[in-house]
Amino acid sequence: MSDFKRPSITSGVSYRDPKAALTWLEQAFGFEPMMVVVNEDGTIGHSEMRFGDSMIFVGHEYDAKHKSPASLDGVNTQSLHLQVDSGLDALFERAKKAGAKVLREPADQFYGERSAMVADPEGHTWSFGQVIKAMSFDEMAKAGGHQEIRERL
Amino acid sequence: MLTTLTPVVFYRDPIAAMRFLEAAFGFETTALVTDKEGRVGHAMMKVGESEIGIGQEWASAELLGPASLKSPVSLGGAGSQFIRVQMSEGLDAHHERARAAGATITQAPADQFYGDRTYRALDPEGHVWNFAQTVATPTDAEMEKVSGLTFKTSL
Repeated sequence: MSDFKRPSITSGVSYRDPKAALTWLEQAFGFEPMMVVVNEDGTIGHSEMRFGDSMIFVGHEYDAKHKSPASLDGVNTQSLHLQVDSGLDALFERAKKAGAKVLREPADQFYGERSAMVADPEGHTWSFGQVIKAMSFDEMAKAGGHQEIRERL
Repeated sequence: MLTTLTPVVFYRDPIAAMRFLEAAFGFETTALVTDKEGRVGHAMMKVGESEIGIGQEWASAELLGPASLKSPVSLGGAGSQFIRVQMSEGLDAHHERARAAGATITQAPADQFYGDRTYRALDPEGHVWNFAQTVATPTDAEMEKVSGLTFKTSL
C-alpha cells in the first residue's frame, strides 16, 4: 500500500500456522493483510498486516528462537497491546465471537483506562486499552497506592 | 476507531534490560513504575517514533489463566515474538554501538534482496532484535526473480 509508512517498530509474531493466523486476525481484530510472501512449496514465508498506522509480521516458527506459544506450553515472551480511542467492548466481543480465549474481561482500571485481555488460537496474548479518564502521572500514583513513578531510569 | 499496537517485552530483570537497551540500541526510557520492592509494574521506552512496553516476568500464571509471560532466558532462548526496528540512517554505526555495548550480534549488517540493509542482535535475556534500513526499493517482479518466492497482497 503506497499510502502506508513503515512505523519505527514492527512486531514479528510466530505461528505454527500463519495462514490460519492471517484469517483469524482479520476476523477477530479487523487487521488488514498487506503482503503475503509464498514459498515455492506453497507455505507462507512472510506476511504483513496493518491496522491504522501500525503493522505486524505474521510468520512461521523459523527456528528455535521463533516459536509459537502453542509450542511453549502457552508461554509468551512478548505481548501486543491494542490501544483504541473508542469501542473497546465491541472489539472484545468481536474477538470473542471469533473464538478468542478470555483472559481478562473488560474492566475499568485505577489509572483511568478500561482494559481487557484475550489469547488467540495459538496462545498469543493480546491486551486492549482505552482511556476513559485522562489522568496525570501524579494522579495515577495516588490512585495506585505505594508505587514509585518516574520518567527516567 | 484509531488503533495503535504497542509490544510489551518481558524480562526477569527489566531495569537491567532497560539500561542495556538505552546503552546498546539508543532507546529512551519515558516511564517507569515500581512497587515498594522495586519490581517493575509498568515501563515504557521510546524507539524512534514508536513506543514499547517493558514488563516483569509474571511470577505466577494464575494472573492470566492458561497464559503466562516469561523471558526467553526462562525458555532456553525461545521467544514468541520479536521486534523489527526501522532506521532511517546509520545502521552500520548503530550495529557498532550495539556490539561495543555487549549485544550478541547474530547477523552482521548485510543487504537483503527485498531492499533493506539489516542486522540482528540478542539482548542479554535473549530477546531477538532486528534492525533495518531501506537502501533500495525493488519491485515485486524483481524480488520474485531473485528469490523464487511469490509476492501477493493477501491470501
